[in-house]
Amino acid sequence: MRIFRHVRSGAIALFMTASLGFTQAPKPPATPVKAGPTFPAELVKAGEGLFVQQCAFCHGRDTGGGESGPDLTRSKLVAEDVGGNQIGPVVRNGRGTMPRFTVTDQELLELTAFIRTAKSIAESQTGGRKGVDAKDLATGNIDQGKQYFNGAGKCNSCHSPTGDLAGVATRNVGLRLFQRLMYPRGAKAKMTVTLPSGETVSGTSAYHDEFTVALRDSSGRYRSWPAARVKVQADDPAQAHVDLLAKYTDDDIHNLMTYLMTLK
Amino acid sequence: MQLTKQWLWLASATLFAQGTTPDILLKPPKDSWPAYHGDYSGRRHSALTQVTPQNVGGLTLSWAFQTGANAQIKASPLMVDGVIYFSTPDNVYAVDARSGHQIWHYTYPQNKGFHIGSRGVSMYGEWLYFMTPDAYLICLNAKDGAVRWKVAVADSGRGYWTTMSPLIVRNHVLVGVSGDFDNLTGFLKSVDPETGATQWRWDSTPPSGTPNSTTGGMTWMTGTYDPESDTVFWGTGNPTPVLNGEVRPGNNPDTCSIVALDPNTGKKKWAFQASPHDTHDWDAVEIPVVVDANFHGQPRKMLMQASRNGYFFVLDRLSGANLLTTAFGPVNWSKGLDPKGQPVPNPAKDPAPDGRLIAPDEGGLTNYRSPSFDPKTGLFIVSAHPSYGIYFTKPADGTFGWAGADYGVWGKGVLEAIDYQTGKIKWSHELGPNGAGAGVLTTDSGLIFTGDAQGSVLALRTSDGATLWHAGQGQSMQSSPITYELDGRQYLVTSGGGVMFAWALPEKN
Repeated sequence: MRIFRHVRSGAIALFMTASLGFTQAPKPPATPVKAGPTFPAELVKAGEGLFVQQCAFCHGRDTGGGESGPDLTRSKLVAEDVGGNQIGPVVRNGRGTMPRFTVTDQELLELTAFIRTAKSIAESQTGGRKGVDAKDLATGNIDQGKQYFNGAGKCNSCHSPTGDLAGVATRNVGLRLFQRLMYPRGAKAKMTVTLPSGETVSGTSAYHDEFTVALRDSSGRYRSWPAARVKVQADDPAQAHVDLLAKYTDDDIHNLMTYLMTLK
Repeated sequence: MQLTKQWLWLASATLFAQGTTPDILLKPPKDSWPAYHGDYSGRRHSALTQVTPQNVGGLTLSWAFQTGANAQIKASPLMVDGVIYFSTPDNVYAVDARSGHQIWHYTYPQNKGFHIGSRGVSMYGEWLYFMTPDAYLICLNAKDGAVRWKVAVADSGRGYWTTMSPLIVRNHVLVGVSGDFDNLTGFLKSVDPETGATQWRWDSTPPSGTPNSTTGGMTWMTGTYDPESDTVFWGTGNPTPVLNGEVRPGNNPDTCSIVALDPNTGKKKWAFQASPHDTHDWDAVEIPVVVDANFHGQPRKMLMQASRNGYFFVLDRLSGANLLTTAFGPVNWSKGLDPKGQPVPNPAKDPAPDGRLIAPDEGGLTNYRSPSFDPKTGLFIVSAHPSYGIYFTKPADGTFGWAGADYGVWGKGVLEAIDYQTGKIKWSHELGPNGAGAGVLTTDSGLIFTGDAQGSVLALRTSDGATLWHAGQGQSMQSSPITYELDGRQYLVTSGGGVMFAWALPEKN
């Protein structure tokens, strides 16, 4: 399988290949695109083959989302990618529940060409684009959202619209804001570990399973201990979001979303 | 005529010196794990007792086999005649069960099918059966991996792919298909193990294009079998289009269902629908586990499933009648149960243009890796995934294939011990963030083997879920553990990423 080959071509080779792709007499792209970079048709076709085999189940055959994987046509990371510099690290290291894949530099260029081309095609759709648009999400009531924020949701016990949430709708748009409203993935928990000696170490939670606990202390150093030998006190700010999931009505989340969309 | 043929075949099968025989598949010897589930029941329970709650703390690595490939091992391996057989997409490996060294490795040519997973090979006599990403069934010689024949099970050009380990019942190789990215008919095929010829085909849904009708109902997990009633039990997948149910009104029968089929003809005996009119991708392909035990004081022949949609079902497997339906975690999409014990979907929880918050998420409260039933405690042990997801569909998403979008919001892994008579959770054991996904094995000595979300393989006490042993495997287990005895030594075989691990107690000097 091509994707299993492990060829260690260096960065120079990568840029040469990329440069060849863009500067030689350009062949027409596989499909007409409206905007964004264009790629040689053979690069896109090769990328499509790899994508179908390894990526399409989760991200959809057209990169617009499938089982569990996000819509790459609306991905900020994909939009900011140049020659695989953003896509590559995610493919090679995995992310969240996404496994890591071993790809050669050439394969990465092929994948990137296909993903970027699919994005351009999706963006050129007229008369209603598939997937989740920001405007789809503004169906709630601002006042009721604010009321929930300060009332039943108790959001104001941790957040403030003029403090940490000032400009939140500028920093997070559409689906990303909606997802982070419900669960702020990656929010760091504070942790204090009490050692058998009585000494306490505080920092940001770095790892915690049944057997091992780890934090990064104020100097940025990673420290771990056997979980059974220390006392752990964790303050996970995201837990309040988890607790709300069972309580929300769909109206609650849409009202909250519509209210948060005003915090630009 | 049918009986005579069957008898002749059984007589000839006994001539096999090695490999599997009908007897081995009916009563697997302790020095084997000859089929996906280990036996026909799907209980994934072993009678082996060498490793006990008292000595499991001494379990140590016997060997590790590295595929050296990207693909995570999702296969449940077979072990027959001292050889382990397992697969990843496009690859089959034969490995010495004593040493972990490779005997042979078969590579299927590059192809454009979905390489999402391969759940294992199956064995009939000395032949192996392997399904490919582009929907072929390959018969390989177990001695050397040489190809005997290859037949197309479905047209991959239309969007079918295959991942499953076939179920072998006498001279029937039962093969199922995947394919819910297109509006395709799901089906189960019975194939002749000698020639690859189709013996029968059962369709779960009408042909594509039938007005007001559903497609889908894929058959991508290995079913179970009850020899006494000669019935095969098979879980079927979601209807298509997946998230838009408007164009397929009604319950969409035989999708998201457990169906009972005659293995000789493919004729349906009964069906129980876990998710009528599903709009959340909750395939009901999780293992339908065959259990004979008392239920509320009466001896019953039962079938149990912890389903992806969040419900645990106990059925009478002779009639399909429901004995118990309970949620085994957060479930917010149903209005209650119908008179048959089937959940009634709440239309307000169908995907919508602005999103609906649904428990569980699309991955479900559990998924395809095996649960286990422990007969001594009566506990059904399942790796659960309490979770919430957000589901969207709008006209621009169309009426073909996925027809919408959904995103996981939050989830975690919890091993749950369900009392099958009440559905109550006797104990639960946290497995970590996002979800663990590993399958579960129990043994007669009172042990559970499974994996957590961060890559540890765990041994727990069945009675209370206490951790007795663990080892980090580097990546979370995406398969279901097996066990066998060889040379008087009990082995546990697990996987993490692309590496297979065999664990055993230290050898005696």
